[in-house]
Amino acid sequence: MNVVEVKGLTFGYEDGLLFEDVSFDVNSGDFAAIVGDNGVGKSTMIKLLLGLIKPNKGTVKILDKDVTSMKDFTSVGYVPQNSGALASNFPASVEEIIRYSICNKKLSKSEREALINEALDTVSLTSSRHKLIRELSGGQQQRVMLARVLINKPSILILDEPTVGIDGESVDRLLEILHTLNIDRKVTILMVTHDLKSVSSYINKVLCISDHSLAEESASTSATIVHAHSHKHSNTHPDHIHCAACDPTDCKDEHCHNHCHNHEHNHEHHNHGHHEHDHEHGHGKDNTCEGGASNE
Amino acid sequence: MSDLLAMFSYSYMVRALISGIIVSVLMALIGNIVVHKRLSMIGDSLSHTSLAGISIGLVAGLNPILGAVIACLVGAFAIEGIRTRLKNHSELAVAIILSLGVGISGVMSGFVKSATDFSSYLFGSIIATTIPELIAISVIGAVIIVTYILLYRSIFLISFDEQSARMLGVNVGLINTLITFLTAITIAISTRIVGTLIISSLMVVPVAAALEVARSYKKQVVLSVVFSVVSTLTGLVLSFEFGLKPGGVICLVSVFIFFMALIWGRFCRKR
Repeated sequence: MNVVEVKGLTFGYEDGLLFEDVSFDVNSGDFAAIVGDNGVGKSTMIKLLLGLIKPNKGTVKILDKDVTSMKDFTSVGYVPQNSGALASNFPASVEEIIRYSICNKKLSKSEREALINEALDTVSLTSSRHKLIRELSGGQQQRVMLARVLINKPSILILDEPTVGIDGESVDRLLEILHTLNIDRKVTILMVTHDLKSVSSYINKVLCISDHSLAEESASTSATIVHAHSHKHSNTHPDHIHCAACDPTDCKDEHCHNHCHNHEHNHEHHNHGHHEHDHEHGHGKDNTCEGGASNE
Repeated sequence: MSDLLAMFSYSYMVRALISGIIVSVLMALIGNIVVHKRLSMIGDSLSHTSLAGISIGLVAGLNPILGAVIACLVGAFAIEGIRTRLKNHSELAVAIILSLGVGISGVMSGFVKSATDFSSYLFGSIIATTIPELIAISVIGAVIIVTYILLYRSIFLISFDEQSARMLGVNVGLINTLITFLTAITIAISTRIVGTLIISSLMVVPVAAALEVARSYKKQVVLSVVFSVVSTLTGLVLSFEFGLKPGGVICLVSVFIFFMALIWGRFCRKR
């Protein structure tokens, strides 16, 4: 079942188009990453998905409902970018932030307490419930933001760069929590990230925004996902080959190899900080490739 | 002590105390909202706007409080309208309306026949509160307090993060409109009691003091109300005892409480 369905999405500001005729789906149980260079429109895509801005053309549906006319977003858990840091100046305790986020007004006091306890337990912040949010670390603040959306048991989590500004250990902890939610509770996750390497072992889909379009890439192994993203080109381009199914350590596709070593996009890509692009291309030089598009 | 008790034998002092308590509670509640929305100077802006309304009322021979209410409402909605358009410098909206209020009241003050009447609105005339005024303040105050309690969760969520509040089903537009309305009414009715020059202090300083010592949002709201009421009552008692202007003394007491809270807060955090 499609949790998110985008069809023919076109959107732009006065100075030009950001997206043109973009279509993609996010299925139930997916853990998808939205990636792309700075300024390419990742956060704008999130706003379009949440109905915060209206597209020029096309439709966006979440759980089969058009987001532009949706009134009830409790099935969608949204964590904005830098939300933890922005909230850190607010004089509220962890418990208050989670408690007042409960949308169901018909719950009894004990049911509310149970929900709060469960949310705190999920993000491992039970011992911090009475602390002020400004007393927590960046990683803990981000987990509080996650807990406040989890309390309403959303079907889908949409996270805008949740790992920005937090240390490596906290990133791992946060991703483990998301992974558990995805696998054990079947929560669909859509996450904007620059840190593809950290998330690569958790995600099953990459949505790569580039040149006003979006390439959807699915693969079964983390190295393949990183490798697939490093190409960043769809198989519709005549000169480039989509090697999503290639194992980078064993890629025998002639064009794939040539593309990686000869294409000037490598240098652009590297300059934009996609370091995995060059690092991952330690593959072989044979000329066959399993799966993916035709190797012409 | 007997002097203190003697204070209560004067009906004007009893009215001053009651109206002072109501106004200080309202100021603290509204102050919590404006401080967290980063609009701390809105009290200053709207109090000067109310002065413009008062001066127009005095010149035109109309009820100056009505003038203050209308001017505050117009000013508050203008601030909200400008704020949403100046996304990167939303605080400028407050300065712009402040300038407008100061300009109009400055010009119109030249046409006011009674300078005493005009200046009484600058520093307030809490001890001149009449019974009809006390009744009006009590009714309006009760409505505002009940509305605040009923909207407490929505106010919390909007103050915390407007975008997330929208996602959680809060009608952000309606609540913001209501908050703007309540802010304007509170300032307009407080102008007569505590004066335009004191309003900003009463709105912000008790909240700042509470921020230093509170361990939750709820405690911060309650403490700010307590600090505001204590400032007003202490200020009134001291002004009665020493024959000083009540508005100024209330201000000084609230600042004193802030510094005490600052020291106490630092001490608690170091322990």
